[in-house]
Amino acid sequence: MLTVPIETMLIFAGLLFLIGLVGLLTRRNLIFMLMSIEIMFNSAGLVFIIAGRHWKQADGQVMFIFILAVAAVEVAIGLALLLQVYHHYKTLDADSVGKLKDNNQ
Amino acid sequence: MTIADLYSMMPLIVIAMAPVVMMIVISILRNYEVIYGFSVLAFIVAFASLFFTGSFLPRSIEPLLIVDVYSLFFLGIIIASALLVTILSHDYIGTLGGVKEEYFLTLFTSTLGASLLAVAGHFVIFFLGLELLSVSLYILVAFQRSKDTSVEAGIKYLLLASVSSAFLLFGMALIYTGTGTMQFAGVASLLKGSDAIAGFVSVGFSMMMVGIGFKLALVPFHMWTPDVYQGAPAPVSAYIATVSKGAVMAVLIRFFFDIRGYDSRFFFVVISALAILSMFIGNLLALKQQNIKRLLAYSSIANMGYLLVLLLTGTDKGIQAAVFYLISYFVTTIGAFGVITLLSISREETEKIDDYRGLFWTRPWAALVLTLSMLSLAGIPFTAGFIAKFYLILEGMKAGLMLLIIVMIINSVIGLYYYLRVITSMFTPGDDAGLPAISLNGNMALVLITLGILILGIYPGWLINIITRLVSL
Repeated sequence: MLTVPIETMLIFAGLLFLIGLVGLLTRRNLIFMLMSIEIMFNSAGLVFIIAGRHWKQADGQVMFIFILAVAAVEVAIGLALLLQVYHHYKTLDADSVGKLKDNNQ
Repeated sequence: MTIADLYSMMPLIVIAMAPVVMMIVISILRNYEVIYGFSVLAFIVAFASLFFTGSFLPRSIEPLLIVDVYSLFFLGIIIASALLVTILSHDYIGTLGGVKEEYFLTLFTSTLGASLLAVAGHFVIFFLGLELLSVSLYILVAFQRSKDTSVEAGIKYLLLASVSSAFLLFGMALIYTGTGTMQFAGVASLLKGSDAIAGFVSVGFSMMMVGIGFKLALVPFHMWTPDVYQGAPAPVSAYIATVSKGAVMAVLIRFFFDIRGYDSRFFFVVISALAILSMFIGNLLALKQQNIKRLLAYSSIANMGYLLVLLLTGTDKGIQAAVFYLISYFVTTIGAFGVITLLSISREETEKIDDYRGLFWTRPWAALVLTLSMLSLAGIPFTAGFIAKFYLILEGMKAGLMLLIIVMIINSVIGLYYYLRVITSMFTPGDDAGLPAISLNGNMALVLITLGILILGIYPGWLINIITRLVSL
């Protein structure tokens, strides 16, 4: 059986996490930001699976199932809120949704 | 699982069952008063069940939960605060349009998440509790769908809290990779083993601190706090400032003490830096605030900075001081937000400090409670906040954390300025701004809070005795 060293897998998962983070910081569309967060969640899930395989335990995969469920919940509420944002602001651009800010005058 | 295990989980079971019952009741009979009455009752039952549970402790339900006196204390604080928030919400939410019964339901699910954090002994429960808490809070923050700022606060909170959860998860995953266990105690016992494990745990814990820092609103992860506090309905802001932060603090203290983080030079520097930054930036940004909700947001950032000092003491006494500090901070913050809530009923939020001009002459009772809360936050003698700060400084000095304590004292002085600004505004004569009258319900809650602040401030001995006798890890 082909075995990949654990370091390689961890670096892969780390890169995936970075892609998500960079996507979140550079994208201004709220839907893309939600997608980037999803990538970050899944990269963390991947590390759990890698670790579970490394330690020969099922715990990592159990955790991944929990992560999937939670991520689904987050997206469900996120999309519902996006609809409300669009309803109020007529845009999904994160920079235009900014009525709340420090106003010291 | 034995029957005694089930008994020791009674408070959690009550809080978990209540929303299920409420869902059924709502589907049959949609009545605001019924749901409100039921949730108050359920919180009281949950609180009472704590005393029943006390005789089965300590008990660890392998491998997920640890129910000991420490967690029971936090459960008590969480449930009592949630109850106060429920009572304060009654009039405020009642006058909103649209469906509103689900508000109490969501309040319960978030309280369940917070309670899970208080008993967590395993990463799975840590993660699930935190997510249950945050996901319910997204809904609560955006509860006034018709208001654009409420929705905006909701989406901001959702995005940032999700990112922080992702960081937390990745940190947990790294610790699991290094140690092969997700139990707090297991991680702790393996930590002494080798440098490789310590490396994984250091990186993992740092990433977890990003997630935890977001939830506690520590600088530099505090950006969301003022916006969310301002946009959310006032009782929800109170809930975020108290229950959500207290629960995360509970799990942070347990984990940090389990892995003996205060012995590690690296963690010591990280936590000190977070504490100092939070104190200074929180207080300095609050100085020029004209919006009282944002002011309280910055003040909560500073307060969490003060609390971090106790993490580094590494003693049971430090934990006891932290529990006392949290109790007094909870009472005080709910008092401040309570007055804002009760004065914002069926009108735009009364959130500008100018709105409170002359409050003492038109609504002396509300002004008195707000004054007390502000004095307590500032740490003036005869209020709960003074004793809490005194206790904190005492334990910090005993542990030799002189630098942190000096920074804290400087910041308490800076803090005085903006807390007193709110008070002077209330005593400046002004015309009646058309604020609503306070109902019996609201007055009851305010009386409880006032008594709490004064009793803890004038005669705190009995509570400190209970805490020092019972609470330890």
